[in-house]
Amino acid sequence: MVTEDGASSRRALLTGTGTALAGGALVLVGCGAVSSDKKTVKKTPVALSHQDIAILERALDLERRTVNAYLACIPLLTRPQRKAFRQFLKEELQHTGELASLITAGGGTPPPRADSYAIGHPTDGPGALAVIHSLEALQISSYLDWIPRLSPGAVRAAVASVLTVDSQHLAMCRVMQGQDPVPGPFVTGAA
Amino acid sequence: MSGRVPTRRELLGAGAAGTAGLLTLPAAATAAISTNGTATSGTSEAPISETQRLQRLVGLELLLLYCYRYVLGSSILDSRTRRRLSPFADHERAHIAALETHLKARGGVAPSGPDSTKTANRYLANRNVAGRLGQLKGSQDALNLLLRLEQVTIGAYFVALIEVDDTKLISLVCQIMANEAQHDAVIGLSMPKGTPARAVPYGLVQGLQ
Repeated sequence: MVTEDGASSRRALLTGTGTALAGGALVLVGCGAVSSDKKTVKKTPVALSHQDIAILERALDLERRTVNAYLACIPLLTRPQRKAFRQFLKEELQHTGELASLITAGGGTPPPRADSYAIGHPTDGPGALAVIHSLEALQISSYLDWIPRLSPGAVRAAVASVLTVDSQHLAMCRVMQGQDPVPGPFVTGAA
Repeated sequence: MSGRVPTRRELLGAGAAGTAGLLTLPAAATAAISTNGTATSGTSEAPISETQRLQRLVGLELLLLYCYRYVLGSSILDSRTRRRLSPFADHERAHIAALETHLKARGGVAPSGPDSTKTANRYLANRNVAGRLGQLKGSQDALNLLLRLEQVTIGAYFVALIEVDDTKLISLVCQIMANEAQHDAVIGLSMPKGTPARAVPYGLVQGLQ
């Protein structure tokens, strides 16, 4: 089980997240996805602006909406698709944990979850894939708008490490929809 | 697909670093913060300019393009995989053109790419990429080389995002980094026993640095 705190297991917690909150600190260590062999780290306090916090809160809300969409859509998919999307759901939950940690470490408080999220009403597999496709694309276009407006470079990079995974989810979703997984050289979030 | 698995001691050490009540960054990130004047850095690596950063990224893209052209031009991949990966060379060309536009606007000169497999292999060795052109024994060897080089490229863009300040360049870097991550996933999908879940095994992708 993966919680919004980004924890699935002790090892996953320590390796799977490039950023984790511990003792009120923002911690960027190594490289979460494909670990760097270089273990050199420095300790530097960094403050986030109100604009940074506001952007991270909007990103968190969108990730939570996507998590809800995955939960609603997975039962409608074929068995192999369900296996993939359960994996992607874990990764989306990790994104919510990542963003919540960044907000807290930057001096903010993660907003509460909404009572419900508008995700449409898919009734079958193709409909479910279309919902997930559109939400992954929305996340990508939103991150592309938000990341250049984040001020600390380290936070920009941390949020970009979420963007990259959402772009991979979109590519795999396209494969399942019989589409070209990488239709162009620049990822824009266009459906 | 990942590199060496960290030991339990290293993992716990990294986790313990987070309890110090401080922001702990990779050395490159710390250098960037120092450049921006918002914090001090103890790193010995001198920060590089945006022009130099762009030259490094173009150089890496040229190496990636050379490797794609080499692999796609050989008969090492099965037809389905070759068809799936063939657009990627054009993607790399588009990345190079876009980066060169930013580079020229800063008065920079684009580096030249590898002119032979020997040179390309030297660059691969410099980047700690396993596998050498001319010695690939099959499809999996070729895919492993491309996968590793894509991950190194993603890592270079990750570091660039920490250090670059120009918002238009940040946007471009994000778009290219995400595209390289998609290449990474499609290569993973093309591996023996590749599935969508195995192709996207991590929740955060920052590449190899």
